[in-house]
Amino acid sequence: MGHIVEVSGLKKRYKKFEAVTGVDLQVEEGEIFGFLGPNGAGKSTTINMLSTIIKPSEGKASINGYDIVEEKNKVRASIGLIFQESTLDEKLTANENLLLHCKFYGVAKDKRKERIQEVLEIVDLTDKRANIVETFSGGMKRRLEIARGLLHYPRVLFLDEPTVGLDPQTRNHIWEYILRLKKKAGITIFLTTHYMDEAEICDRVAVMDQGKLIALDTPDQLKTNVGGDIIEVETENNQAAEALLEEMYSVEVTAAGQALTFQVDKGSEFLVKFVKEFDIPICTVNLRRPTLNDVFLTLTGREIREETVSGKDKMKHLKRGPH
Amino acid sequence: MEAIYAIWQRDVLKFFRDKARLIGSFAMPFMFLILFGSGMSGAIGSMMGGEAASGPLSDFNFVEFMFPGIIGMTVFNTAIFSALSVVQDREFGYLREILVSPMSRTSIAIGKVLGGSTVALFQGLMMLVFVPFIGVTITIPIILKLIPVMFLVAFAISSIGLLIATSLKTSQGFQMVIQVLIFPMLFLSGALFPLSGMPAWMDFLVKINPLTYSVDMFKKIILQPEQMEPALREAMGLNLSIFNHVITFSEEILVVAVLSIIFVLFATIRFNRAEA
Ligand SMILES: Nc1ncnc2c1ncn2[C@@H]1O[C@H](COP(=O)(O)OP(=O)(O)OP(=O)(O)O)[C@@H](O)[C@H]1O
Ligand SMILES: [Mg+2]
Repeated sequence: MGHIVEVSGLKKRYKKFEAVTGVDLQVEEGEIFGFLGPNGAGKSTTINMLSTIIKPSEGKASINGYDIVEEKNKVRASIGLIFQESTLDEKLTANENLLLHCKFYGVAKDKRKERIQEVLEIVDLTDKRANIVETFSGGMKRRLEIARGLLHYPRVLFLDEPTVGLDPQTRNHIWEYILRLKKKAGITIFLTTHYMDEAEICDRVAVMDQGKLIALDTPDQLKTNVGGDIIEVETENNQAAEALLEEMYSVEVTAAGQALTFQVDKGSEFLVKFVKEFDIPICTVNLRRPTLNDVFLTLTGREIREETVSGKDKMKHLKRGPH
Repeated sequence: MEAIYAIWQRDVLKFFRDKARLIGSFAMPFMFLILFGSGMSGAIGSMMGGEAASGPLSDFNFVEFMFPGIIGMTVFNTAIFSALSVVQDREFGYLREILVSPMSRTSIAIGKVLGGSTVALFQGLMMLVFVPFIGVTITIPIILKLIPVMFLVAFAISSIGLLIATSLKTSQGFQMVIQVLIFPMLFLSGALFPLSGMPAWMDFLVKINPLTYSVDMFKKIILQPEQMEPALREAMGLNLSIFNHVITFSEEILVVAVLSIIFVLFATIRFNRAEA
């Protein structure tokens, strides 16, 4: 008890397939909590269970002290939700969308105008309030959805991939709003993403793969756990180099694209020695601090692959873009 | 209450905003009245004895006969298609915004049915613009009587629509089911031609069709059969009866009201189980 979000042994089965195979976690009040994982990891499924959209097959969870199965309506009143897919009524104006939301959530009549003004200011859409949502750009729609999610002053705001399908500049903007929110409203933010750089901003990150959490910590701690520094090297014969590296330094080498990647304790000292004594001609070599991608790579042996946009993502992009 | 109102308001607002749909809604009834109605007038006229017809049957005006049926058809179509918004909301994601709010599912379902009924009522009333071209007389008392009846019929049909919409995932599926449902119901309701001298099995279908009673109510209000010659009334199929009992207007109200309650109950129960 005492945590704003509390989850234990949460599972979701679809027929025989287990989409979420047991999640345990607690979220502190006021924290930005990130769910990081590749496509199909079960992030949305978990969020959907927590937000009462789908029923868990097993396990318990509470939000703001209310059980997500037994006290659905109290949970619903305590949370704001921004889905992976847009859920605006595009035939209505921004203001109408917000006003309807106030009515759905029982915001008192005399407070509506003021609240709408307030949330529109947070996302910089005040001058667009009378426009039909259909005419908005993808980023504007996203911002409007965030504003809408805040209208009823939720204790926890769930954001399922808030920036997917948006250009980098808009992504930055959305993040500014999210951080501004945390500062201003002090609400707890629970989000999913498969962008590494976004996970870095979170206070704590849960790494999810194939339906279960494989790590949960602050981004810094996660990276420290990976150990040493990361060396990326390209040679004229990667295959031979891989074998030779493993033999000479007993390191675990992963081939990612053109480069071979491995970890060492003291990166700079290693590099000097390595360049001098390695027999296969080196094309490029690079030393860097570990990123969350390396965390994922170490834990699963795979990359999250944020550069490949899946077909699903492309569709989302089209859906959200102007028609 | 607020929830019911909000859901209702959204549907009504969107109906009046969609100008193309408003104008387009006149096309079907117009074609039925002008093409089908005028065409059939001649045919039916000559079947009843043509120019030589004497007495009350010479007063048979097919377009006039059809008009209440066209109103019924419009109310029926609009009401049942209003539920398409539920399927579309699911497709476009808005249904989730509605379903994850703390509103009760029952309020949402009732708001939806009331929204559909209101829209269908307006659409039905709009058909009265054809009145001057048809030759029926519509007075204010007739309109005042028509409004609650239209609303009641629309309420029953919207509930059927919601029941179907809640069970289907795509708008194509919904439209298919509705098409398959709409035509037999319309043809077997007496909206488009007089129902007399039918085979027994068809007569049975007519009698279990809720639309039959709805259309008959519109006819009773608009055509005022009590002022007609009995022979003409018979020819127009206005003596709807079951087991030799001529059904009265109040009985029809009762039938449709009871059906409304049953359908809205089923639709609400079904909607309460819907997943987002
Ligand atoms: N209704 C369903 N029926 C069957 N399987 C489902 C259903 N919904 C999701 N799944 C499966 O559950 C797994 C997890 O899906 P989920 O949407 O939670 O992934 P995700 O982590 O959100 O991925 P993404 O990054 O693509 O959004 C996937 O393999 C998916 O195919
Ligand atoms: Mg997802």
